[in-house]
Amino acid sequence: MSDTNHSNSNPFAYRKSSLNSKEKSMKGLLAFATYFIVACALCIFGKIIINGYPVLLNKGLSFITEKPQTLTVLEIEKNDDIQAPLENYENMLSSNVEPLEISNLKEFKKSFGYVTFDLESGSLIGDGYLMDIEKENNGLYLMFKERRQPEKLGFSIPQDKKFTIPKAELEIIQKNDPDLITSEVTNKEINIISKEVTIAKGEYPLKKVGFDALEKKTTLIFQMRQSYPDDEPDKVIQCVIPETQTITVPSSVYYAAFDEEENGTIPLVSEKSIFSSKTLSEFSLPKGAYKLSPASLRIFTANGGQHLHNLDRGSVVVKLDEAKTVTLAKESYDRLIADNPEIKVSNVQDKTQEVDYVSFTLDRDSEIQLNISDYQAFKEANSINNKFKPNAEHTHSYSGGGILGPIVGTACLVIICMVVALFTGIAAATYLNEYARKGGFTKVVRLAMLNLAGVPSIVFGLFGLGLFVMLAPVMTSSPSADSELLIPIAPLGSAPELRIAEAEAILTVDPELSTTLSAETARSAGAKKFYNGWLYLSFQGWGTCMLAGGFTLAIMVLPVIITSCEESLKAVPMGFREAAMALGATKWQSIRTAVLPYAFPGILTATVLGITRVAGETAPIMFTAAAAEKSDLPWQGIHSSGFGAFVDFLQQSVQALPYHIYTVAGRIPQSEYTEPMQYGSVLVFMIIVLLLSAVSIYLRIKIRNKIKW
Amino acid sequence: MIQIDNVSFSYDLGKTNVLRNISLDIPEKKVTSFIGPSGCGKSTLLRCLNRMNDLVETSRVTTGEIRIMDKNINAKDVDAIELRKNIGMVFQKYNPFPKSIYDNVAYGLRIQGIKKKDILDAAVEKALRGAALWDEVKDRLKDSALGLSGGQQQRLCIARTTAVQPKIILMDEPCSALDPIATAKVEELITELRNDYTIVIVTHSMQQASRISDKTAFFYLGELIEYADTDTIFQNPAQKQTEDYISGRFG
Ligand SMILES: Nc1ncnc2c1ncn2[C@@H]1O[C@H](COP(=O)(O)OP(=O)(O)OP(=O)(O)O)[C@@H](O)[C@H]1O
Ligand SMILES: [Mg+2]
Repeated sequence: MSDTNHSNSNPFAYRKSSLNSKEKSMKGLLAFATYFIVACALCIFGKIIINGYPVLLNKGLSFITEKPQTLTVLEIEKNDDIQAPLENYENMLSSNVEPLEISNLKEFKKSFGYVTFDLESGSLIGDGYLMDIEKENNGLYLMFKERRQPEKLGFSIPQDKKFTIPKAELEIIQKNDPDLITSEVTNKEINIISKEVTIAKGEYPLKKVGFDALEKKTTLIFQMRQSYPDDEPDKVIQCVIPETQTITVPSSVYYAAFDEEENGTIPLVSEKSIFSSKTLSEFSLPKGAYKLSPASLRIFTANGGQHLHNLDRGSVVVKLDEAKTVTLAKESYDRLIADNPEIKVSNVQDKTQEVDYVSFTLDRDSEIQLNISDYQAFKEANSINNKFKPNAEHTHSYSGGGILGPIVGTACLVIICMVVALFTGIAAATYLNEYARKGGFTKVVRLAMLNLAGVPSIVFGLFGLGLFVMLAPVMTSSPSADSELLIPIAPLGSAPELRIAEAEAILTVDPELSTTLSAETARSAGAKKFYNGWLYLSFQGWGTCMLAGGFTLAIMVLPVIITSCEESLKAVPMGFREAAMALGATKWQSIRTAVLPYAFPGILTATVLGITRVAGETAPIMFTAAAAEKSDLPWQGIHSSGFGAFVDFLQQSVQALPYHIYTVAGRIPQSEYTEPMQYGSVLVFMIIVLLLSAVSIYLRIKIRNKIKW
Repeated sequence: MIQIDNVSFSYDLGKTNVLRNISLDIPEKKVTSFIGPSGCGKSTLLRCLNRMNDLVETSRVTTGEIRIMDKNINAKDVDAIELRKNIGMVFQKYNPFPKSIYDNVAYGLRIQGIKKKDILDAAVEKALRGAALWDEVKDRLKDSALGLSGGQQQRLCIARTTAVQPKIILMDEPCSALDPIATAKVEELITELRNDYTIVIVTHSMQQASRISDKTAFFYLGELIEYADTDTIFQNPAQKQTEDYISGRFG
């Protein structure tokens, strides 16, 4: 034996070698790594389960279905006799964790007059009033096709009233509404003194009063050294006059701007008084309702001292297409009828309603949290006695709502994503594996796919934002004015049905105008969309909606889907294809009947894998689909019908599970509410993922057993 | 029936010819077997007959033409799909689809658009009887074909081929994956089928060739060395190479 190192020549004799200890420590290291992972997993899952399941138990159903809340925090001074409807009062108590110091609580009943009536079709209503009607009748949506500027606006005067206006303006009124003024008109000449002053170039101190007067009522060109803080009218600020100017100023401005004692020290190079005269006309109107042209109304509103008619609410009228029964508070009804001369109502019923009210004394200045709607009710209830005056208020999201919305939203996203990804993915994999020539092209495609799989998901999010949210084409009759590209398809027979919220943003333009001009017009008028009687293919994007999110997610999982589909196609024996072809099948027939069915288990596995990946992604949907809060489930709040409803369904933003967790954990202010909610949501999410994996494993085993070769 | 006329064939656009100047006439309703050492081009020639080589994009018939029933099958107006409906093929590795026995046999008819159940039923029974399989499987037609033994599966593949009633059946080493008993059954079946079909079979087994075929072609390195009646080839070959191969001195 040449083995001289060991005295024992038997090769199986026990030898202690240095290798053994190395071997042992290596094994220990590997085991340690494994147990470390297990320990981490146990810690994570343990924490989630321990913190999460009591939340689920305690909250029960409300964990699933509660609505998201937005709270306003108000600083309220102590006051007595604060009034509120009982319901809102109770809400206030429950949404304030620290008890409020309240005494003198009295319950009473208050009766409200309200009116139920039928709005007839063909009614012309100011769009602002229509919005009020919708607001007061929860869930009511009025559709219409026509929107126009009215010839006459309603105008009511509660008492006989005298007006004094410049003669020139009276003439405008008389021209536009010749029958309006029946009373005697007296003209009165007044003298006006104004001054012509010359101001030298330079830099001077000036107070806000002077600044305002100069800016609004003269042609002086000047700049401020810094901006005026709104809350400090007395602060003096340096103002620069770039060159010597001569201007005419009314005497009121003269005193505001150049009175040395009072307001400032702009030295005048020269000044001279100018005398002129102006005729004022005086007339009176008896109380009652009138119909006026918008031009006259504008003059009345400017000179009447008070807003008799809200021009914002009535200067565009819409024509209702269908009759609707609505309910309004008595005052709102009266104003509606007075301000909308061409409204048609029938079946008017006056009713009264008793509401439980409380009044109470708040003993100490306190901070109150109120739900938006409760806050509104409080404001209204105390609008007359003025007892509820917040010194400061700020609004914040309080809860992301129940978990049903996010689950449903995620399901919608996943379904859209998978429909798109599977369709394109299977098609692409089939093409690459069955049709495409093996060579350069497939190699490049595969390389691209590998790279795509490594792209961080936030990049897909941005990509989806750019492509689907902002650029993807839609067919619409009211395209966005900012659309990237507008392709007219066909003229429309009739205008589309509109809802009030949409109508506001749509500008109806002359059908004679070209597409570019129409868009330009809308943009300069500040309208988001325009309508000119054509159906367009508009590259304006789909907006932040589940369709965009689904497509973005689909693009993200496509590499995974394509790769695993290709793998499954490759796993189908060549013999099946040959056998099918030899029996006279066309290529596609052989793929459809003898290849795809047997690739199905692999495709299914890929699908479930894809689903778990997609369901957990936050970044790609952040910009493209996700809403932090939404009180409606996707199928709620859709008011169109047929195909339109389907489009509306797809074009809304949704909540999604991972984003919901991010919302409660990081986006909204932390409170006693959000912390348990996080664990609850994460636990639910984990359970869903586990269920999905279980289903995938089960399906794989089951189908594998059925199809084998 | 089939005239192969001076055919050369290449898998790489004519750079190298796998088959060179092959000419032979295959008679109707006879069994013709192709023999030769591995890689000599038997399968290639067989697959030329039903244009299965079309699946290899770079493959070309570089010279000559193949006429089946006096029609050049590589002519522009010949539809490969129609051609394959008339020329069935059975593969070396039995490859029934992972479907039921019934669906396997009905496959060829179904892709031709036949849906009527009674027509399919009749055709399936006829084909299975023809493949001597009916008695063994008639009670389990709805069971998966993969539950059958290897020999049964191969006979099922033959039934699947005959169900569409081709004129010619090409078989590429149909028995190489089978044990002797299953082989015997398939051979028996082939002898039966001879009455109705023209059969071309590739085989590595001399005994098999001599047992079942009427004519035998011997290929070597892409060339046809000898083609004659089976008896002549085996008892009295004209070429030295043929004799060497048959007596097992090389190959
Ligand atoms: N798809 C193909 N592409 C390229 N070359 C091929 C292809 N199929 C076969 N060949 C080549 O063609 C030649 C003939 O092959 P073929 O399969 O016809 O031989 P064979 O006689 O059937 O052999 P075996 O008895 O082993 O089946 C071989 O050199 C083979 O490498
Ligand atoms: Mg072969």
